[in-house]
Formats: sequence, C-alpha cells, structure tokens
Amino acid sequence: MKLALSIASLIVLVVHGVVFYDQFFHKWERYQTAYFDQARSQARNDAERAELSERSPRIEQIIVTQFGESRVDRCGTCHIAIDDPRFAGLGHPLKAHPYSAKLGDVQVNGIWQRRHKFSDFGCTVCHEGQGRGLTDHYAHGEDHYWPEPLLGYVVQANWKKEFQPHLKGKDYMEAACAQCHSEEKFAGTPQIARGRQLFFSNNCYGCHRIEGISDGTLGPELTEAGKKFKVDYLWESIVDPRAGMASSFMPKFDLKNDEIKALVIFLKSRHGVNLTETSLSQYRTRLHATGAPASETSTTLAAGDIIAKGRKLVEDRACAACHKIGEKDGGIAPDLSFEGLMKDDKWLVDHFRNPRVVMPDSIMPGFRFAEADFQAMSAYLMTLKTAPVSASQADTFQALCARCHGDKGDGLGKTALYIDPAPRDLTKVAFMNSKPRERFVQSVKEGVHGTSMPAWSKVLNDQQVSGLVDYVYATFVKEKGRELKPRNVPEKNPVASSAQSIQRGEGIFLARCTGCHGRKADGKGPNSLDIVPRPRNLRNSPFVTSLSDRRVLEAILYGVQGTAMPPWVDYGLSVNDAGDLANFIRSLTQKSARPQLRAGNQTWQQNEQ
Amino acid sequence: MNVSHTDAGKKGTTERRSFLTWLSSTALAGSAVISALANFVFLKPRATYGAPSRFSIGRPDQFPSGARIAIETRRICIAREGNQVAAISTTCTHLGCIVGVADTGFACPCHGSRYDQDGNVTGGPAPKALPWYQVKLAPNGDLEVDTNVEIKAGTYYNL
Repeated sequence: MKLALSIASLIVLVVHGVVFYDQFFHKWERYQTAYFDQARSQARNDAERAELSERSPRIEQIIVTQFGESRVDRCGTCHIAIDDPRFAGLGHPLKAHPYSAKLGDVQVNGIWQRRHKFSDFGCTVCHEGQGRGLTDHYAHGEDHYWPEPLLGYVVQANWKKEFQPHLKGKDYMEAACAQCHSEEKFAGTPQIARGRQLFFSNNCYGCHRIEGISDGTLGPELTEAGKKFKVDYLWESIVDPRAGMASSFMPKFDLKNDEIKALVIFLKSRHGVNLTETSLSQYRTRLHATGAPASETSTTLAAGDIIAKGRKLVEDRACAACHKIGEKDGGIAPDLSFEGLMKDDKWLVDHFRNPRVVMPDSIMPGFRFAEADFQAMSAYLMTLKTAPVSASQADTFQALCARCHGDKGDGLGKTALYIDPAPRDLTKVAFMNSKPRERFVQSVKEGVHGTSMPAWSKVLNDQQVSGLVDYVYATFVKEKGRELKPRNVPEKNPVASSAQSIQRGEGIFLARCTGCHGRKADGKGPNSLDIVPRPRNLRNSPFVTSLSDRRVLEAILYGVQGTAMPPWVDYGLSVNDAGDLANFIRSLTQKSARPQLRAGNQTWQQNEQ
Repeated sequence: MNVSHTDAGKKGTTERRSFLTWLSSTALAGSAVISALANFVFLKPRATYGAPSRFSIGRPDQFPSGARIAIETRRICIAREGNQVAAISTTCTHLGCIVGVADTGFACPCHGSRYDQDGNVTGGPAPKALPWYQVKLAPNGDLEVDTNVEIKAGTYYNL
C-alpha cells in the first residue's frame, strides 16, 4: 500500500515537473540564446558584445494594421535571425530570410534592402500560418483545426495521402501575393494567371460565381474560396467532387496534376477583397466593373458573320469542356458534332436561355450571355450538319451510341453519370424483351423528349436505324423474347380529366407512388437511391407530354419489366384508378390548372414562365 | 536465532515503511511547491498587445548626418548628428497630437505648442518637454528604438 502510494506520488512529481518545465522553459528561449551567443562571437567590437550580453529572450511580435484585419505575428520569436544577413547560410529557425529580386528586394551599395519589410508587413500575410503561435506545431498550422497552415510548406495530418505531396511547393505562396497584387497580368503570379485561364477553359465559370470574374449560379460561389477552404479541400473537390458532398453533380474534369495545382492556387487566391484597397476604392472599382463576358452591342450582322461569331463564341466560351464538338471532347455532356441534324434553331435557343425548360434534369448551367450571343451560337450549331460515315452497324453504335450507352451497351458510357434520365441499359433483357421492336425504332428515330436521347432520323436512314436496332438485339440483348401478348389497356384514358379525378389521382399517388417517385413526383423518393434505373421524374414536362395515354396506363397497370415499377393491377388498382393517376400526373406538367402539390418544388417551372 | 531474525525482519519492515512515508510526502510536497511557484509566472504577462515598444527602424545609413526624419507610424523623430543618433517622441505632451518636425524644432498643429530642437517647450500649452527614447544597434546592424526606456534629453547613441 505504502509502496503504491510512494510510486504514485513520485509519478505526480515527475509529471508536474515535466509539465511546468515544458510551460516555462521554451524552445524559443533556447533559440534566442543561441542566436545571441553566435551573434556575440561575430560581433565587431566590445560595445556590440556588451549590448548582446544585456539582451534576454523575450517574445518578439509585429503588429500589422495596414492589411485587412490586424495581425499579430510572433514568428520572429523563434526566427530571431530573420533579418540578419550574417545568418543566411544557417538552418531553421536561425536562418535569415532570403533576399530576392523577385520579391522586389534591391541591393544598395552591396547591401540588400527588402521591399516588404517585416516590421511593416509581418510574416503571415505571405506565409499564412498562426501568427500568435509560439510552438512550431501551432505556429505553422500543423494543428488540423487551424484554417491557414503555412502555404506550400505544411500539410496537415488529416489531409488525404493521395494528394498530400501535390500540396507542397513555393508556388502555393502566389495565392498570398495575389491578395494585394490582384492584377490579372502580375508577373509574380504565373500560376494564378494559368489557373484563371483554366477556370474559363474548363467552363468552371458556367456554374461558379466569382465576383468580378464569373456569374454562374449552379455551383457554390467561390468569391471567397481562398478564405473558406484549405488547399486540400480545393484539390479534393476538383479531383473527386462527390467526396465532400455525395449529392454533388459537379463533373470530374479531365485535368493533369499541374493544371489542378494552378486551379487550386487560383482559387486559394480568391479572398473577395484586395488587402490594399480601402472601402472607397472598392466602391469605385465596383462602379466601373463590367460583367465578365462582355456582351457586344447588337448590330445587325450578315448571316455568315453571325455563324462566324457563333463559332468563335462556342470555342471561346469552352463548350467543349463538357461537350464533344469535332475532335474536342470534354467527356461529360452530349456530342454536338452534328447538332444541326438533331435539333432546330428554336430548341437550341430555348435550351441556351434555360436548359431546364427542355431538359428538366439537365446539369448544364444557364449561361448569362446576351440574347444575340445565343442566337449566334445556335446559328453556328445549326450549320453542323455533316453526318458521320460508318461502315458497319457496330461502328455506328461505337460512333454514335457508345458515348452514353457504353461500349458494352450497359448504359454506362463516359457521359452517363451526368445525364439524367440515365441512358438506357440495353443489356437488361427483361426490359428489352417486354417492349415491341417498334418502340425502340421510334426512340432512335424521334429521340426521347425531355431526355438526352436525340432524334437520329436525319443522321441515319430507316434502313440504318433498323440495322442498329437489330445490332442491339443481337449483341446486347442476345436472348430471344417470347411473343408479346396484347394487353388489355385502353388507347385513351377512360377517365375524363376533372378536378375530382385529379384529386383522386393525387390521393392514390400519395398513398402508393411517393416511396419511389417522391412527394414532389420528381423521381427522388426515399427509395429512389437504391433503384436502377431511377424512377421517372414525372414533372419532366416534355417527356410526360410526349407519352401516349396508352403507354402511361400500361406502365401503371402492368409495370415496367426490368425496372422497379411493379404491375399495380396486382395490387388492386383498377383501370379507372390508373386513369385518375394519369390525369394527376398530366396535371403536374400542364401549364393551366396546375394543382399545388403538398410539397411542390416549382423552381424550374418558375424559370419556364 | 529465530527470534532475533524475526526482530531484524520487523526492524527492516519499519525502516522501509518510514522511508516510503518520507518518500511519498516529499514527492507530494515537491509537486505542491512547484505548482505554487508556477503561479508567480502569471504576475508578469509574457506578451502584451498593442504595437511593440522595441522596434527596428532600419540601417543607420538611411539617416544621413544632420537629418531629422519623422517616422509617423511609430511617432518618433530620428535625429542624426555625425556619428550620433537619437530618437525623440513626436507625441505632443499636451493632448497627444503628432507634432510637426522642422529644422528649428517641433510644432504642434492642434493647440500651437512649440518645442526646440531638443524637445524643450518654447511656447504654447505643452506642460513638459518631448521625451527621448533609447536607441541601440541591433545584432543585425539595424537601429533599434525602445519606447519603453526614456533617456535624458540630449543623450545621443554613438555609432
């Protein structure tokens, strides 16, 4: 017992000793003492030596009030020799800060003079980190709760191993330079200039807003991205957008590491304000600011000039960052190489103005270009009328279909992730064999409204379409289906649309359908995430409008084979119930007499008006 | 034999017990003393807020002989005569305005206080002379002013 007590009390003594030693005898005191000793040995005269002997270690701090919020930088407490050229060759922390003409330092009579004097600028304005910290762990921002670790020098322990090595390098400090040197062409920040150029050439500007640079509204605003996010988060969000938020629909762009780095540095430099600006000068710049894509004054152009202008716009504004146009392929959005054969001018202009009017689930941003620009771009796209020539049906499929439906016909082409409704899985035998052949021929020829499936009738002739469908059956479906039995489904909805019918339909819908199709009927019900293909968005107006009564009723009563839609006739729905449901579903997408769903999401419909 | 062995054993145990008691109490008392002494550290703050009182003002050759250069952000005036340097406060001793520096002395723009070259009051409401601060040469060769240390007017630092 006594032995235990004495051991415990000894441990208490040792712990006390260590804790207090650690708290009161600091590393920085040792660094400073070492500095004084070395400086004394290099002193030129006795007076200087006496001076140095008088000095005792203390916290050295610089208070900077000129740049934004005032900063307290105590870096000089450890880095005590930072301004002493005699210590240039030493290791950290007793190392003089290098002089460099790039930083604007000048040599006068053989003595370097700093452009950015530490007494005026402090340290953290360029290096970031935690100015008040007195241990390297805290001061350098290694603590992973600290938002600003030393730029380009320190990676925090919880940053992902895959890209940790990319997050080091002096280049990252350009982001700090640009807080004051925000000029577009500033020579000291080449990475930021490159990142800015990539921000446009990869069409980031289409979705993201950066004040004074871009106007996108689909993605998060990035005006203050550098203030809000650490470099690891920025890197991760570019290489794997869904890592941070599973529901993000930001595409993965095909970027090399050095391009990502330039983008990260560019975004890290976005702080919303220039530190040298006063509120008055900010107001003045805002007053003279021009919108990012300058809209030209509308002059009447000759047809040829309009097309040339449209071509230039399509190239300059980086449509090919997502779309495929000729050789350039962003690998995210549909092929526009022969858009003139698939769409008409009106569709294109409507789609430019607001893509969700004609494609309700499209992720394409609505660009804020001038109306004349939309006209010109549509005019140019309408000139793309060269149908591709393919020798065999397999070639045709690879050239035209595989980009969305996948090489293996499994609906997993490279753009499939970004297309909603997703491309059909052509290998799903149950579905493919439950529909008549004519349905597929029709889908190929006329396209599917409200989806990314275009009408191919001007690209492929009847014979080619028929051959393609045969190819799909032979290559992907393989199994021969049984003869389809005619189902007892009325051609026309037996229930006339009326307020009562719609109300009955809504009752049935809320009771039976919301689990998958959602309370908003947008196909995002709680079960929808586990279901492939996803439940239909019944608010997709162009799609629902294009369906015949028969098809809607058949899908409700007999289900859709190969999908999660069950035959509701087995669960006690009558033809009249299905008719009420059909009326309700149609009422959602009709402009007049639209009932308010109990939790109706009307965002895109408002845009439509 | 047996008895004496037991006695010796008993004696050994008692010694060991009292040693352990002594050890525990010393160790605990030691920790208490360390903790108590540690509190004295808090009597003096390690860092103070506000502009640092000791700061570098640049190399001596930035101040040519005969020059009187005001550093407004630091509220001091550097006067150099040959190899001698001094730092004189430019905060008016009346109500704290920044006094203007001229070759003939200092003049306050607020209430017209006037000082001569050494900071002595020559007119106006100022109650006392402008203080002189200590100037030293920092180890890296920069001049360093410590506004916490006031020195007698007219004491120059010899370079």
